[in-house]
Amino acid sequence: MSMPHDVFECGHTLEELSLYLDTGEFPDPPHLESCPECRSGLDSLRRLSAAGEELFANDLAAAGSGRDDWMKDILANLTLELRPGRSIPLHSDDPADTLSETEGSVIALVRSVADSLPGAVAGKVRLEGDVTVPGEPVAVHVDLAVLFGHPLMPRAASLRQDLATALARHTELNISAIDITVTDVIDAPREEL
Amino acid sequence: MRDQLDVVPDAILAGRAADGDTAAFESLARRYGPHMRASARRLTGSYADADDVVQEVLVQAWQQLDTLREPAAVKAWLLRLTGSRSIDLLRRRRNHASLTGPEDDQPADAVSPGAGPETAVVAGAGITSLKAALSALPEEQRRCWVLKEINGQSYDEIARTLNISPASVRGRLARARITLVREMEDWR
Repeated sequence: MSMPHDVFECGHTLEELSLYLDTGEFPDPPHLESCPECRSGLDSLRRLSAAGEELFANDLAAAGSGRDDWMKDILANLTLELRPGRSIPLHSDDPADTLSETEGSVIALVRSVADSLPGAVAGKVRLEGDVTVPGEPVAVHVDLAVLFGHPLMPRAASLRQDLATALARHTELNISAIDITVTDVIDAPREEL
Repeated sequence: MRDQLDVVPDAILAGRAADGDTAAFESLARRYGPHMRASARRLTGSYADADDVVQEVLVQAWQQLDTLREPAAVKAWLLRLTGSRSIDLLRRRRNHASLTGPEDDQPADAVSPGAGPETAVVAGAGITSLKAALSALPEEQRRCWVLKEINGQSYDEIARTLNISPASVRGRLARARITLVREMEDWR
């Protein structure tokens, strides 16, 4: 099959067909069913698209795995700065001492408590409220992914308890609420864990 | 825990990484690094430049992750950054080349990424002819095609990356496809 002209005898163009494949937009959709030239043009574009997918699969295989040395080298060269967040004041017996902890360290604490629960993986953690003022009410929000096969409700209840205990032990925050949102249930094959 | 990170959805990893969890960020990098690398190789035509691009994008991503409004869209975001960085690199390279004189003005981006260790991967004849046809395309058309077909970017996103209008993207992409279809059909 050859394509000598960009404009078909029916007046439509390969550019229109190219746009149609990407967006579904075409001035006269029923025409595409009946016009042999347009159908053949679409077939060609679809074959090209399939070849493009094949090329991409090939390129991706050639790029190697994210576990290979090249990625290890790149990751080793990255210097990822800490994210301290807000500064949370801590009580001190001596007024001359100014003690504080970072919001980032509290978020990391929440994350590690959630992660330590079997079958749970923490996502985004937010501390809502003015943590820079002692005694201000602070609500903790945690996104949570739960691996398939682990019961959701008992997990959430025991996590809320664990978090309350850990936050009381390691911070002076006035925790007003602990909200856990299960955003994902992961159907992970056991052998991959 | 590290293994569990590899099975959780993107939004969980992006949320943790935005909170400062480096392990989650590295898991994202491992997950999409190969796609970023493949995209950067096609765009820059250079293995070394592609790895530089991936590294620069990861640095930028770590700094800007907390500005990502939709954490589930982190893959598309990383690929957009990869596209922009690759195009920036090509522009820098061109400026550098024009400063050093016309005899050095070798368009390095015309180098086919098909030449190199990649050929070790057994490629079908269709892929080989597509690669050849791609490397013969005008540069602007080739960029549009790669950003669309390899990165999966929309016309509007490609327009922003290349600093041209969406209508120009539509035209260049169509012309690229028309040429590629012809080359492929000739080969058939």
